[in-house]
Order: sequence, then structure tokens, then C-alpha cells
Amino acid sequence: MTVAIVLSAVLGAVCVVLVALPFLREPEPVSDALEEMTPQRQRRLALAEERDRALSALKELEADHRAGRINDEDYRASIGALRREAASALRALDVVNEKV
Amino acid sequence: MPRAPRGGYPQGVARKRSPARLVIALSIAAVLAVFLLYTSIAGGGTPSVKPSELAAQTGPVSLVGQVVGKPKGDANEEGLRFRLRDVKDPSSPTVLVLYKGSVPDLFAPGRDLVVEGALRNGTFVATPGTMVTKCPSKYTAIKPSD
Amino acid sequence: MADLGRAALLVTLVLCLYACVVGTVAAVTGRRRLAMSARNALIASFGSTVVATAILVAGFVRNDFSLVYVAEHSSRSLGGIYKVSALWGGQEGSLLLWLLILTGYAALAVWINRNRTRDLVVWVTPVLGGIAVFFSFLLVAVATPFATQVAPLDGSGLNPSLQNPYMMSHPPFLYLGYVGLAVPFAFAMGALLSGRTDERWIVATRRWTLIAWTALGIGQLLGSHWAYLEVGWGGFYAWDPVENAALMPFLAATAFLHSVMIQEKRGMLKVWNVVLVSFAFILSIFGTFLTRSGIVNSIHSFAQSSIGAWFLAFIVIAVVFSTVMIVWRLPLLRSKTKLESLISREAVFLYNNLLLVALCLTILWGVVWPILSEAVRGDSVVVGRPYFDFFFRLFGLPLLLLMGVGPLIAWRRASLRGLGRTFVWPAAVAVATGVVLLILGAGSSAPGLVAYTFSAFVLAAIGLEFVRGTRARRALSDESWPVAFGSLVGRNRRRYGGYVVHVAIVLFAIGVAGSSAYDSVVEGRLAKGEALTVSGYTVRYVGLSERQTDHATEVRATLAVSRNGESLGALEAGKNSYKIAGPDPQVSSEVGVRTDYRTGEDLFVIPGTIYDDGSVYFRIFVKPLVNLLWLSGIVFLLGSIIALWPDAREQRRLAVRYAAAGSPARGR
Repeated sequence: MTVAIVLSAVLGAVCVVLVALPFLREPEPVSDALEEMTPQRQRRLALAEERDRALSALKELEADHRAGRINDEDYRASIGALRREAASALRALDVVNEKV
Repeated sequence: MPRAPRGGYPQGVARKRSPARLVIALSIAAVLAVFLLYTSIAGGGTPSVKPSELAAQTGPVSLVGQVVGKPKGDANEEGLRFRLRDVKDPSSPTVLVLYKGSVPDLFAPGRDLVVEGALRNGTFVATPGTMVTKCPSKYTAIKPSD
Repeated sequence: MADLGRAALLVTLVLCLYACVVGTVAAVTGRRRLAMSARNALIASFGSTVVATAILVAGFVRNDFSLVYVAEHSSRSLGGIYKVSALWGGQEGSLLLWLLILTGYAALAVWINRNRTRDLVVWVTPVLGGIAVFFSFLLVAVATPFATQVAPLDGSGLNPSLQNPYMMSHPPFLYLGYVGLAVPFAFAMGALLSGRTDERWIVATRRWTLIAWTALGIGQLLGSHWAYLEVGWGGFYAWDPVENAALMPFLAATAFLHSVMIQEKRGMLKVWNVVLVSFAFILSIFGTFLTRSGIVNSIHSFAQSSIGAWFLAFIVIAVVFSTVMIVWRLPLLRSKTKLESLISREAVFLYNNLLLVALCLTILWGVVWPILSEAVRGDSVVVGRPYFDFFFRLFGLPLLLLMGVGPLIAWRRASLRGLGRTFVWPAAVAVATGVVLLILGAGSSAPGLVAYTFSAFVLAAIGLEFVRGTRARRALSDESWPVAFGSLVGRNRRRYGGYVVHVAIVLFAIGVAGSSAYDSVVEGRLAKGEALTVSGYTVRYVGLSERQTDHATEVRATLAVSRNGESLGALEAGKNSYKIAGPDPQVSSEVGVRTDYRTGEDLFVIPGTIYDDGSVYFRIFVKPLVNLLWLSGIVFLLGSIIALWPDAREQRRLAVRYAAAGSPARGR
């Protein structure tokens, strides 16, 4: 019985220490603010996602064409739009980055 | 609530809609149609009744009850005969069940079971092979002792 | 020690509450240290749950029958390893296992993502904490596994049907799956709460979803194999609500796994994806509710156990919460891209999603309708096998076909002319297979024939996919065939792992069709020396023997099996009577199974009544191809592992993307 009480107390104490750890480690932090995901960063992330999407679609189209899943006709019909999409995503990302 | 007016663009100007919406709407309609058709023809399920409610039923039902007394006969030959009463109601009327086919391991007097069939001349003639014991599995909430 | 167990659970509850409440405050006010503290609380809650679980396991191992739970689910004679698995033999222990897995997953998820996607994780912590609050509260206040009593001399033992390697592993796998769905759900809600509806929540949870989904699939297959060998009625799935409880979240998660790819590739279906992940999570809770509350048996047993009402309340909260979140963030979930063509990979994915969700909803209706009918109208109904079989075929067969169509169609759009060329070979293989099977007499079952034709189509399409890919690689790099094949799979793990999973599903479909549409059965009472014949097999009843083991009296009938005059050896089938103190003896049928590994066929003998004169009533099935079901499990696992295997190339690509976005998104 007493053993159980002591062990419970130890368990509770360990947990309290763990929970308090961030405050024990940094009693007086330089900044206590969460890093903000600023609108600008969000915009850049969105553009980077768009760029990756367009680039991987291009890559996939090339691979599909090489493997023979897509015939020349379909390939030519799609490639132009995809290239434009990728280029515009890249350009938009450059523009945003230059502003910084 | 009055209907909201159509969108702000003039009538007749075709706005390009995603075909996905059309597909989704059509398939939901199709699924609903099949579903309704199926449930109206084949029925939404068999009624499940207790022995005390059995007299009012004419069609095929799924009977839920508790085995009372000693079963007689052989399910593999002329048929197993036993009586069922309402689960947890010792005073309820009992019904004679005639059953053929495989008998679950857990079948025994006092056990709850479900069997499908229909009442014929006062005897519940079960569809062969439909007996399922409601097992006192430890995976359900009620303990067997309850 | 029971006191320590109770205390540990109480500590878990407090920690989870802290993670939920303080985590929310930290996220709203943007306080870094507070958020870290909440995260630590969530991680610590795993530690205290481990302590509680360890104490209960120790109770089982030491035969501590002063614990009511141990006394009710174990006995001195219970075999070694089952003393541990008895932990999840009942209600309270199962809930404890749920909580253990949940806090474990939660701790791992927030720890792995502590530096990545930080703005998301501050919101994920309170969501996961909230879910854990529910389960730890149940364990503290409603169904404690640490109730004590004056120790009886012996426990009442574990249900013999659970003393089986399958029943040992089936529940943990299912729980790994059920609970695993909480992580993608929490990240989706975190994304909505923080307003960061970019792709990071999907990237962060891709593996979690896949792991949970794989565990659910494997868990169900283990359960089916158990039912096949132990329940002894000759089938493996009965559309029982408890079985459907696991199937529904699996189907929803399957739909989610596919639709999430459309968001990654095309930026579409953002709303649909959050809806699906919420649906899958809620179904997993609903599944636990079904199996735990006893509502399946009847409304009355539901009313008797207070746990059902708690679960119902939690489901309502989860539904309301996720609905409100999705509606609130609807403006953020608009996608710019549209479906370009109805003949494209993403369109096929969309059809697949609609079919999966339709199947899931019809099963849900079949499960819920009897409950609703009893609750609302007062008369109970049973929704039986025909209903489920009908919709399973109606939606399952097109799904099977789509698995073959998908890989052949390009993203965005495909011209019909281009398609014609890619479809020629698989379609030819399918038609040829159909014709050959028809000649061989497979026309006896129309759904079976359709399933096999579709299966041939899918296998041909996937085979073609591998051949084409390898050939293209070879053209590019001059590698040898095996090397080219290896690097093809290695460079596109998710795609080709996915195809391997598709092969597994096809094997499964072939097994299901073979064993249910083309099986044969014979039955009869045999005296010693008599025989039964079924599709080429002759089964002769040789004699009866009885042996005593520590736990049971085992009666076995010995059968001599031969096929076309050639002896195939002996087979045993019989019954075990377990030696457990109780009102009536617990008996289980032990079926005899002879597997033909060449054809995948099983000879399946069910012992019926054993008569006093030594004769036995046997039911004998021949189930063609049924072993493909179990083989499909291995292939399924293999495919999942390929898809899950860490991909350094992808990690680099993501690192570049996050570097472009700036600090909080980036790994540090």
C-alpha cells in the first residue's frame, strides 16, 4: 500500500517536471512567441507547392511518354500547358523572393 | 425561405463548371436509386422477434430466444426439437422449434440464440443452418453473469 | 499495486487534459514555452499509460486474482503467452490498449514533427490530447481495469476461442489501425484550426495513414483466418456488425489514401479530403463503440452498459467538431484547379472514391438500420447476408475493374485513341481468360466469372505497367533487366508499392470468388470405415481417439484422405472440452483442414455431432483457391512496406520546398 503511494508520487513528480521542463530550461527566454507563419511565408509555401506539382507533373508526363503510356499526340497536347504552368510558378516564386 | 436568385452572371452565359460535380451528383442519384430499388424489392431486412411476439407474424422472421428444457432429436436427421422463450423472461410463452443443419458448439439449455424461419401450425420451422448462438463473448459489454 | 495502476491512469487523464486545455491556450495566444509544455504533457501521458498497462500485465503474469479483471479473464492453468493477451480479452483491458496505442502514436507524432510544421503541431497537440482525454476518462471513471476484490482461488479463465495465436494478434492490429486514424484526423483538424491548409498536414501524415490502413487490413485478414479455422462454419466473413465495424473505416481510409493523391498531384479535392479523414476517424470510433457497447446485441444491453452512452456522446462531439471546423474553413479549402477531363487518372480516382464511399455507406446503413429501427419504431429487424452481398458485388466489381483502368490512364486527360492502344493487351488477356474459364465451366456463377475476368484485366494492366516502366528505364540507363526493375520500383516506391497492393487485392478477390462461388460441399453421418466423396476427394472415417491435456479433453476423429485413388494421408477433426469451472462445459469444434499448396485449395472438414456409437456427422467442403486470401495478406504487407520505405529523394525535394518557404516550415 505505502509502496504504491510512494511510487504514484514519484510518477506524478516525474510528469510535473517533464511538463515544467520548457520553463525550467528557459526561465527568461529572449522571446516566448511561437514562430509565426507570416502571410508572406504562406504565400511562398503555396507557390513552392505549386512549382513542385507542376515540375513533377512534367516529369511524369515525360516518363509516361517514354514508357508508351501516352501517345505522341496526347503528349504534345499536354506538354505546352504544363510547361507554362511550371514556368509561371517558378517566376511567381522568384518575384516573391526578390521582394524580401 | 425564398430561393436565392441565380448567380450574378447574365442568363445564357455558360459558366464552365467542373465536370466533377456532375459526376458526383449523377452517381449519388444512381446509388440512391439502386439502394431504394433494392430495399423496396428485397426489403430492408427480416423482422426480428421474440417467442412471445411470434404469433402475430406470418412471414419469415429471425427468432431470438433462450433455450428451455432438454432438446430432443438429431439435427442431422429428422430434426432437433427444442423450446425457446423470451430472453430474461421466465414467464413468457414458449415456442417449439424444429431445426436441421449444423448446430453451434455453444448450443445448450439456457443459451440465447437466433434462428431464422417461419411459424407453421404452431411449430417454428427453422431454415436449415441458420442457428447462431449469441455467444457470451468477452468482447461484448454485458458479462455472462448479468 | 492496483492503487498505483489507478494513480497512473489518473495521471494520464490529468496530463491529457493539460495537453488539451493548455495546448489550446498556447496555440491561441502564441506562447512557445507553454506549447512545448503541453507537448511534453502529451508525451508524458504515454509514459504513465505504459506504467498502468505494465501493472495490469504483471497482475496477469502473477495470477493476482485480487484484480477483478484478471480473475475474470485468466486462470492458473492459462498458457504462458495468453496471460499477456488476456489483457485485451475484455472491455476494460481493450480500452487500456486503445489508450496505450493512442498516447504512443500521439507522443511519436508530436515528437517527430516537433521541429517540422511547428505552427501545425501546436494545434495537433490539443486535438490528440482531447481524444486521449475521452479514453483516459473512461478508464478512470467508467470502466476501471483496476477494481479489486478478495482474491478467489482461481480465475474464471479466458474464453477458449480466444486462446489462439490469431485472437492474440487480431485485436492489437485492429487497434493499431483504428487508433492510427486519429493522427491524420488530428493533423487535418490542426490544419483547419491554424488556418494552414497547405499540403503539410498531408505530407506529415502520409505514412501514418498508410500504417494505420495496413494494420487495419492485416488485422481484418487475421480475424478472417481465425474465423475460418476456429469458428468452424466454413466461411471467413459473415457481415457481422463487429466485423463491419473494422471494414468501414478501412474502406473510408482506402478512399482517403487515393483522394489525397489527387490533392498532391493536382491541388484538387481539399474539402473532400478533410471530410474523408474525419469520416474515417469517426468510423473508427464508431467501430469501437459497436464492439464495446453491446448495442449490436440489442438496445437493452446497450442501455445496461453506461460505456455506450459515453461513446455516443464522443461520436456526436467529434461529428459536430469536424463539421464546424470544415464549414468554418471552407473559404480556405477552395481549389484553383478543376477536373479537366472525365477520362483521366484523377477522374478514375474520383470514381473509385465514390464507389468506396457508397459501399461504406451502404454497409453503415446495414449496421445502423436494425439499431435505429429498434430505437425508433420499437420493432427489431435483421439485415442479413443477401443485402451486404448484393452491394458488395454491385460496388466491389467496378472497383476491381477500376484498379486495372487507373494505371493505364494518364493524369489530366487522355484521348480515346491513345487509350485504345494501351487497353488492347489487358483487354485481350481479360477476354481470353473469360472465354477459357467459360469453357472450363466457371459460368456456373456469373459474379465469379466477372470477378475473374476483371482480375485478369487488372493483373495484365499492372504487369504491363511494370514491363513498360522497366523497358523505359533500360532505354535510359542501359541497366540489366533486374537492375532496371529494381531502380524503377526504388525510384517510384509509392506508385509501384501501390501496384503490389493492388495485386494483393486481386488475389483476395480471386480467393473470395473461388471459395464462395465455386465451392462444393457434402455431409453425412459416417460409421467407422465409411467414406464420403466430394469433387475428387474421398474422405474415409477411420476411428475416434481421446486425449487429455492440461486444459482440455480432446476428442479426435481420424480421417484417411485420398484423391483419385492416390492416398493423401490422414486428417484429424474433433472437439475440445475445456476444463474450466463454470455452469456448463465450454466446447469448441476443431476443424480439419488439408491445404493443397499447389492449387491453393482446401479440404475442410467440420465435425458435427459425435454419437455414442462412435459414428460422427461430418460436413466436408472443398474450397478452391481459398489460400490466395492468406497469400494476399503477405503481398499486401509487402506492397505497403515498399510504399512506406523512406525515400531520401523525396525528403530532399521536401526540404528544398520548405527552404523556399522560410523558417517555421523547415526542418531545423
